[in-house]
Amino acid sequence: MALENNEPTQEWKVGIGAYIALIFAVLFFSGLFMKVEGMAWLGALDFTTLAGKFGTLQDAKSTFVGSGGTSAKGGFLFALSLVPTVMLALGVLEIFTHYGAIRAAHKLLTPLLRPLLDIPGRTGLAMITDLQSTDAGAALTKELYDEKQITKKELVIMVAWQYSGAGLINNYFAIGSALFASLTAPVLVPLVLMFVLKFVGAMIARFTLNTLYRKDFANEQ
Amino acid sequence: MNNNTTPTSNNPFDIFVIGARKGFHIAINNLMPNVLMAYVMAEILNITGAMQAIGAFFAPAMGLFGLPGEAITVLLTTWLSCSAGVGIAISLFAKGMLDTTHITILMPALFLMASQLQYMGRLLGVADVPKKYWPLLMLISIINSCIAMVAMRFFV
Repeated sequence: MALENNEPTQEWKVGIGAYIALIFAVLFFSGLFMKVEGMAWLGALDFTTLAGKFGTLQDAKSTFVGSGGTSAKGGFLFALSLVPTVMLALGVLEIFTHYGAIRAAHKLLTPLLRPLLDIPGRTGLAMITDLQSTDAGAALTKELYDEKQITKKELVIMVAWQYSGAGLINNYFAIGSALFASLTAPVLVPLVLMFVLKFVGAMIARFTLNTLYRKDFANEQ
Repeated sequence: MNNNTTPTSNNPFDIFVIGARKGFHIAINNLMPNVLMAYVMAEILNITGAMQAIGAFFAPAMGLFGLPGEAITVLLTTWLSCSAGVGIAISLFAKGMLDTTHITILMPALFLMASQLQYMGRLLGVADVPKKYWPLLMLISIINSCIAMVAMRFFV
């Protein structure tokens, strides 16, 4: 594969605004602004603070969900209480994405790909896309392979990165936000850990392909 | 699933509303039915005593991650469907079988091995990954989840 310098023409423009959006996104979900001594106003920039809480019925300890609900009825009322958090999470995520946070993340990711995973920088777009949509990421990956921009080995390493924690950003904020209120760590901690582990998993794949399955790829390169 | 989601304005308030609308659709179409189903499933497992049996059987393995045995049901369910896994986690939390520390430990593992069955078709199949490597990729996801649970114990 000698296509390293032949980057695809579809390149995202990343201006300073995109990096600012990414930094804001990280800070917003980090929990750093949640309870800063003497600076309660910073809470206006914090996800958990803005998600708020339900009030209680007069002189009671429970919210409108009540306590002791079971099965379908209990589940329905509890699920209803999750709706505002999911709406807030996706509303804010939409803004950060609009201002280029994802494009900035792509730019930052690209230089890591060759040294860590031994795959070309042009795969970055498909991988970042996977963070938002598994299906779109899969389609872009297939396109890269069909156009012979990546080898089979690179394909497997790329997909190892995508498969564990597929659709990460969307799943985490859309579905996982239902659990945000129960976290004892800032919302960003599990997200960063999952992002790092995606690389760890892909590095395990790279190592396994280079050792156990080495013969499969003898004719490549 | 989503409609009216094409941004037509650069106004951040409008963009927020588009995202919030997506959130509402996800909450109503994906989350609520799954949470409801998970509550019902957990109730069945509880009434029949199966939850206690599963919990006792897996207690030693889950203990390695600082979790009660019942937590295995969250991981097994998320393997099939991410939202159902979250639903089970929520219902076990409501029943007091999991506390906030357990949820925090489980959180990254939930998504690192989420919906693997679905994504076999939607990712591995679509990207044309040779079937020979599918078990490797699944194993990697499970390894990732285990590492995540161990690592999260330092953050709770």
